[in-house]
This record gives sequence, structure tokens and C-alpha cells, in this order.
Amino acid sequence: MIAWKETLRRMDPMLLLYLLLLGILGLITLYAAVHQGDTGLWKRQCLYWLLGLVLFFGICFIPLRSVALFSWPVYIIAVISLALVPWIGEIQMGARRWLNLGLFHIQPSEIVKWALMLLLAHWFASREASSLKGLGGAVLLSSIPVVFIIMQPDLGTALVLLFAASAMLFAAGLPWRWFTYGLITALISLPVMWRNMHAYQKERILSFLNPQSDPLGAGYHVIQSTISIGSGGIFGKGYLQGTQARLHFLPEQHTDFIFAVLAEEGGLVISILLLVLYGLFLSRILTIGARASTRFSSLVCIGIATIFMLYICINIGMVSGVLPVVGVPLPFVSYGGSALITMLASLGVVMRVAIESNGRIPWQRPGNPLA
Amino acid sequence: MNATFRIRHRFERRVLLFRGLIFLFLFLLFIRLVNLQWVQHEGLLLQAEQNRISIVPLLPTRGEIVDHDGRGLAVNHVSYQIQLIPERVADMKQTLRRLTHWLHWDAARLHEVKQRIAHSRPDHPVLLDDQLPWRQVAPIAARLHELAGVDVQAGTHRYYPYGALTSHLVGYLSMAGPEDVRKGILPMEKVGRAGAEKVFESELHGRLGNQREEVDARGRRVGVLQRQPPVMGKQLRLSLDVDLQRAASKALGHRTGAVVVMDVHTGEVLVLLSKPGFNTNLFITGLEAKQWKKWLNNPHRPLLDRATQASYPPGSTFKPLVALAGLRDQAPIIAHGTTCRGYIELADRKLRCWKKIGHGHVDLHKAIVQSCDVYFYELGDELGIKQLRAEAELWGFGKPTGIALSPEAKGLAPGQSWSFRRSRTWFRGQTMISAIGQGSVNATPIQMARFTAAIANGGLLLHPQLKAGATPEVDRKIDVDAKNLDRVRKAMHGVVTEIHGTAHAHLWRLPWDMAGKTGTAQVVSMPQDGSESNSSDKHKDHAWFIGYAPYKAPQIAVAVLVEHGGHGGSAAAPVAAAIVRTLAQKEKQG
Repeated sequence: MIAWKETLRRMDPMLLLYLLLLGILGLITLYAAVHQGDTGLWKRQCLYWLLGLVLFFGICFIPLRSVALFSWPVYIIAVISLALVPWIGEIQMGARRWLNLGLFHIQPSEIVKWALMLLLAHWFASREASSLKGLGGAVLLSSIPVVFIIMQPDLGTALVLLFAASAMLFAAGLPWRWFTYGLITALISLPVMWRNMHAYQKERILSFLNPQSDPLGAGYHVIQSTISIGSGGIFGKGYLQGTQARLHFLPEQHTDFIFAVLAEEGGLVISILLLVLYGLFLSRILTIGARASTRFSSLVCIGIATIFMLYICINIGMVSGVLPVVGVPLPFVSYGGSALITMLASLGVVMRVAIESNGRIPWQRPGNPLA
Repeated sequence: MNATFRIRHRFERRVLLFRGLIFLFLFLLFIRLVNLQWVQHEGLLLQAEQNRISIVPLLPTRGEIVDHDGRGLAVNHVSYQIQLIPERVADMKQTLRRLTHWLHWDAARLHEVKQRIAHSRPDHPVLLDDQLPWRQVAPIAARLHELAGVDVQAGTHRYYPYGALTSHLVGYLSMAGPEDVRKGILPMEKVGRAGAEKVFESELHGRLGNQREEVDARGRRVGVLQRQPPVMGKQLRLSLDVDLQRAASKALGHRTGAVVVMDVHTGEVLVLLSKPGFNTNLFITGLEAKQWKKWLNNPHRPLLDRATQASYPPGSTFKPLVALAGLRDQAPIIAHGTTCRGYIELADRKLRCWKKIGHGHVDLHKAIVQSCDVYFYELGDELGIKQLRAEAELWGFGKPTGIALSPEAKGLAPGQSWSFRRSRTWFRGQTMISAIGQGSVNATPIQMARFTAAIANGGLLLHPQLKAGATPEVDRKIDVDAKNLDRVRKAMHGVVTEIHGTAHAHLWRLPWDMAGKTGTAQVVSMPQDGSESNSSDKHKDHAWFIGYAPYKAPQIAVAVLVEHGGHGGSAAAPVAAAIVRTLAQKEKQG
């Protein structure tokens, strides 16, 4: 047991700093996105931050051994709720993705990513990725939520999950040749996937390939967001001065497309600042992972970093028009309680890893994760 | 130990690779952002500006048209229009039902409105109804909060207070067509289509303004960035005198015809009336095809401006011109006179005088005063068709007067006709008929008025002016001997004042001394047996009167035509009398 004073002392200050800076930048940007309409959203987001930070600090006090023990129940609950979505889920924005828990709505697909990372870290803590059992189990554990998510249908999240699971396999030491096999399988299955895709998904991909083909329909989002970003120029139009955002040409400007608000009003300078902050933040998580004392902790950090990286790159990529539109939030900036709270909770785990790695020799081989 | 080291080593290598991958991705995003925010900045900024700025044209208010005394002939009335933005309407059925109730739409109109809504973008306003008076939009304006998406807007529309009385002169407007749009006029603007509205379009129209507005994604105006106000069209004061126009119209009554009154010194047109007229206000409220067809098919042809667009045989009103030609040529008959026996024999046929028993001995004065046809047959015969033609063209016959209203008929001077130029068999008889203003002679009322004015002012052929105070333009100073002109004037005075004058009975107790000439133009050739054939209106003679007043110091020249009116003295002269009385009274009062 580590005393609570010691816990606080061992917290990684750099991670805290990056989180603080990202949080401030995020809330400032969110205010710009909602200040003309519902500022209540901004206040609610502040409340989510408070809740998330409470959870974050709470998790900092939970030993990783217990976290590892939690990984199975969290995974099972997440998968069950995911399975329930088609039956009792609520439809928002044309897709059935939400569960109503009375007090608030949660998005099971949001939670299952983190749960899978946790479980895969736990799975590989005591197994070699190259062993048939290790690999087979991991593939099975990953496939269950992926299938449910594809059924929802939420192609973006499914791809994120697949990519994150592959990253875990990679970190756990799966030999390179397996990735070659996987890539070939994926290429072969592409036409099959295309045929099974929903019309709106195909439309999104087509409109991504040529946004001008349907400027008022599916391509509208991307056209307007690239206009927003580009019109910001190097120094931006000034805080709260973005015409694209202020006059509502920019769709979903407080959620998935919030990056365009930041880029329009803050210009290239602030966009780069955000990219740099994200880079430092991700890098810090990897550093913490590399210094971790157990294989479980290392893998957890890598899984979490992977998800953050995917969120950041996919979101900015789609808003700036280089990736198709998939519903992915921009970490710490987009409005949304579920996403923010789970992200902060996962960072709590990372912080716990930092707390528990006390300068001893890092883990050397797979072993009992609870040891 | 070796194995664990290898595992550890591989892990660290892969973490490093992973870190590299993250930086690679972030770097790619960085490049994309540099591309958008630096390289493509200007183009995208322009697109953002195009998004938010909409340039809204501000329509100018059209200049008003007033008469000589400043009374409005074409004015702007405030009216209201109803618009609807489909996507903001909560319950379209209910909304349309309520609008139908207040605006009294019938089923066809409602259907048309529905079609218009169906065919327009849901975020753009659709014009539902236009030119509405306040009392009709008031109940809607009061309930706008219940009618989401409906909007009432104020504007102006053209109103012609005198309607049919001034229809041909003032004209009317209609929506700009494709040709106007090519000239830079906006499709929602209105353009003069006839009369003064068309002639003075460039002055009346005014200049378009514009407003740069900031709009949001739904097209709603958020603010005004820049405004260039429209320039109102100039007010146009016509030389027309509504009092005289009304007097002329009243005197004509329901008869078809035309009246032109011209200032003999300036050429200003004081009256330009063509009857029947048409209610130009119907054009403004969207002329229905039915009404248009009705006008087109009306046998009285209300759309035709008889004062300028129609020419008629001038009949005896042509005689002063023939007399002037005779005087210029010193024709033998001028010196000796002739004897009228009621007809003249020419080869196998007889040309008749209107007075069957004949006028006895006739000189020029008597020939004009009593309108002796035989005298003019002989004078015409002596002059020949070429002389007649030369004199007629000198006084403006056979050519448009150049009045700004178009298209203007040019009439026909004697010997100008196609049949004369082409046929080798031009008979003496045809020349003689021309000399009494029949056969191949045609003139428009505006030509007759100008001719009369030229007699009154000493031979100045004036350009007819529509604007008040316009500088007089003399088309031609006619080379005419003052003594000759005076003889004709005296004879025309005699027409009115002498006991045997053809207009005497119809023009007594005039406030002003007047000179004139009546004309009774045959519509069909005079029957050989001399019997009257005025049984049907269609074949009844056209009645003419030309004149000027006051005789000693002429001010106005008048030309009156009554289609199928019968005798010039009884049908047309009283119209001129009404005008002179009105004018004299106005002068006395003010």
C-alpha cells in the first residue's frame, strides 16, 4: 500500500500539466462554439470535468492489481450493454447508440474501447502474444464488441477498436508476419465489407472521396469545416470572431467539428499549439508506460495512448478533410460527458501506473499480473 | 535472462516505433493544416466571405408622373406582400388554411401557391401574395407570432389615379422580361411598357442600390455591413392638362375617337386622348390573361392609341392644305373661282359635292367656309398630284411627327401610296379625290393637330413635346407667304363665325374667338347614285374637326376625330368647344 500523501507526491506532474492545458484550451474553445446558443452546454461540460476529475483522482488511489481484477467485469458489463443497445437503445443523429440510465445517457461503444484495452493488457500480462492461445483469445475478445458495434452500425468506432486491438498485439510482441497476414485478410475482405455497408456509410465514404459531389448533403460538413480552418489563416479571426462558427455555417461545431472553431478563430498558431500539446501528452503516456513496473501497466498505457491517438488523428483528419467523416470526439475539447469522463478515468489508470512505477527495474517477462 | 532481455528489448523498440508513428501522424496533420491555413488561406477566406455576405439589391422608388399642374398621373402607393419560408413553418396545412381565409384565395390560387412552395428551396422566402392593402394584411400581421415562417413586408406599387383617361399617354409597367434582364435590370423590377412610362424609363427608373448583409447559414440577416442607398427616379411633369383631357373625354362620351391639343408655340401636348381607354391599374395587380384577351378581342380596340397609331382619311380638314398649295402655285381657279352645280363630270363618272344643289359661284374663301368639294376637285386637278404631295409633305403629312410615343403611324400623303407608285393608270379622278382628303390620303390626329398649329403660328412645324417646359423644337420653318396663310386663316375663321360656316351652328357662344375646319371622311366610297347609306355605324363617316384659338393670338391647336361619328360639324366640333371652354375658364380663374 502506498500512503495517500505519497500517492499525490508520486503523481506525474507533466501529465497533469498537459491535461490542465488541454482542459483550459478545450473549455475556451467550447465556449466559442456555444456562446451564441446554449451556454448551458458549456456549464454542463465544466460539471463533467469536475465529475471526471473526481473519478480521475479516485482511480489514482486504486492499486493496479485491483484495476486488473476489474478488467473482466468491466469488459463483460460493457459488452452486455452494447448487446442491449439494439433493444433498448435510444436513437440520436440517426443511429441507435445510446443507453438511457435514468440520470444520464451513456454510449456503450465509448466505454467498450477502454474496457477492451484494459482486458487485453490484462490478457497479455501473463501470456505471450505469439502463442496460439494468447493470440486466439485476444482475437476472440476483440471480435465480440467489434461485431456488436458493426451491427449498430458504427463503422468508425469498429475501425478504431480494430486498430487499437492491433496496436495492443503489436506492443505485446506479436511477430511482424502476423500483421502481414492480417493486412492481406483486410484487403481481401474490403469488397465484402463495402457490399454489407449501409447506404449512409457508403455515402460518407464517397462524399469524402469527392466532397463537391454533394455540397449540400453529405459533403457539406467537410466543405464548411475546411473553409473554416483555411479562412482562419495563420493568426486566426480572433476569439469569438469566427464567421463560419458564429453564423452556423459550421455544423456540429461544439461536438465532432469543434476543431474547426479553434482553427478558424485561433489560426495556424493555435492549431499547432494544440497538435504540440497532444504530441507531448501522448508521448508522456508512452513514457509512463515504458517506465512501468509491470507488463500489465505498460500495455494499459499503450492501449490508452493508442485510443487517444486515434481520436485525435481521426478527428482532426476528418475535420480538415483528409479522412472520411466518422463520429469521433476531439479529446478534452469536444462537448460530451460520456467521452470526457471515460477519458479522464483512463488517465487515472495511467496516473496510477506512474504512481506505482517507483524506479525499480521495469517488468521483464510475462508473469502473473497480480504479482 | 537472455530471453527476458530480448522481450524487453523488443518492447522498447516497439514503443519507440509507436512514438514515431504518433509523431508521423501528427506531422501529417500539421502539413494538412499548413496547407489549409497558409497555402489555401486566401481562397478559403473568400469562400467564407461568400458564405456570410449576401448582396441584396435595394430597388429604387420609381419617379412619379404628374400633369402640367402637378396632379399625379402615375404615383406610388404603399402596399404589402406576404412571404413564407417553408422550412420554418410548423404546420403548413393549417397555415395555408388560415392565409386562404384572410386573403380570400380561391381553389386555383391556393393550388398555385402550393405549387410555388413545392418548387422552391425550403430555406428561401416564397412570395405568396403581392400588392395587398393594409386592411387585408392587418389580421395576418397581428398574428405573425402564431404563423411561424410567414412574413409581411411593405413596398410600393404603381397607381394610376386617372386610369383609362390617361392610359395611352401615361402607359403602364410590367415585370422585367428576359431582354431587360440582359440589359442589367433585375427580374423583380418593373419596367415601363407603354406611353410615358416607357419613353422616359431611364429618367423614371432611378438607380439600384445595394446592401451588403451578413447572413447566417439559414439565410437570415444578422446585420448590415454596407449600404448604398438606391437613387429615386426623377419626377416627370408632363405637359398634359388633366382638366382638358377630362373635358375632351366627357365631350366624346362613349364614342370611339381621339383628341389632340397642342400648344401652338411650344409643341407641348396638352391633351392626348384615345377612346376607349383601358384601366392601366389592372397591369399592376398582375394582369390576368383573360382580361388581356378581352382587350385584344374588343372590336373597339382599346389598346390602340388612335391619336398617334391610327391614321384616317382627313376629309375636308385637308382642304386648307390644298388651298395653301393653290395659293403657292397661283392656280387659275384662285383668281377666277368656279361654279358649283353639286357635281363635276369627269369622263364616264360624276364626282359629287356634299351639297347636292351646289354652292353656285365659289371663291377660295367660300370654298373653305362652306367646304365646297367641287372647288377643290378643280383646284386639285389644276395642281396635279405632285404639287399636292409636295405641299402635304411640307406640312408634315406622310411622315411620323416624331412624338416620343411609338410606334407612330406615318399616315399617307397624296401620291405617296403604293398604288400610285406602282400603277401606270393613275386617273385624274384620284388626284381630285385626294384634294378633298379622300382616297389615298391618311393622317393621324397628332399630324392634324401639328398641321393646325403650324397654320396658327405662321408655318412652324413643331416637334410634339410630352414634357412640360421642354424647349420648343421646330422641325421645319415652312416657307409660306404670310398673305396666303392669312387668307386660309380668315376662311377657317369664317368656318366658325360665318352663318354658312360648317361649324358655325355647333360653335357659338365660345369664350374665345376660334378658327377651324370640319371634316366628314367617308369610310366607303361614295355611292354613285348619291343615296345616303349611313344605315349601319360601321359605314358611318369619320367626323373630324381641326381648329385653333384664340383666333387673333393663337394658343392652342385642336384636332378631334370621332370614328364613325357622322358629320364633322355636329360630332367633332363640340369636343373642341368643350376644350376651349375649359381652358378659357381655367385662365379666367387662375
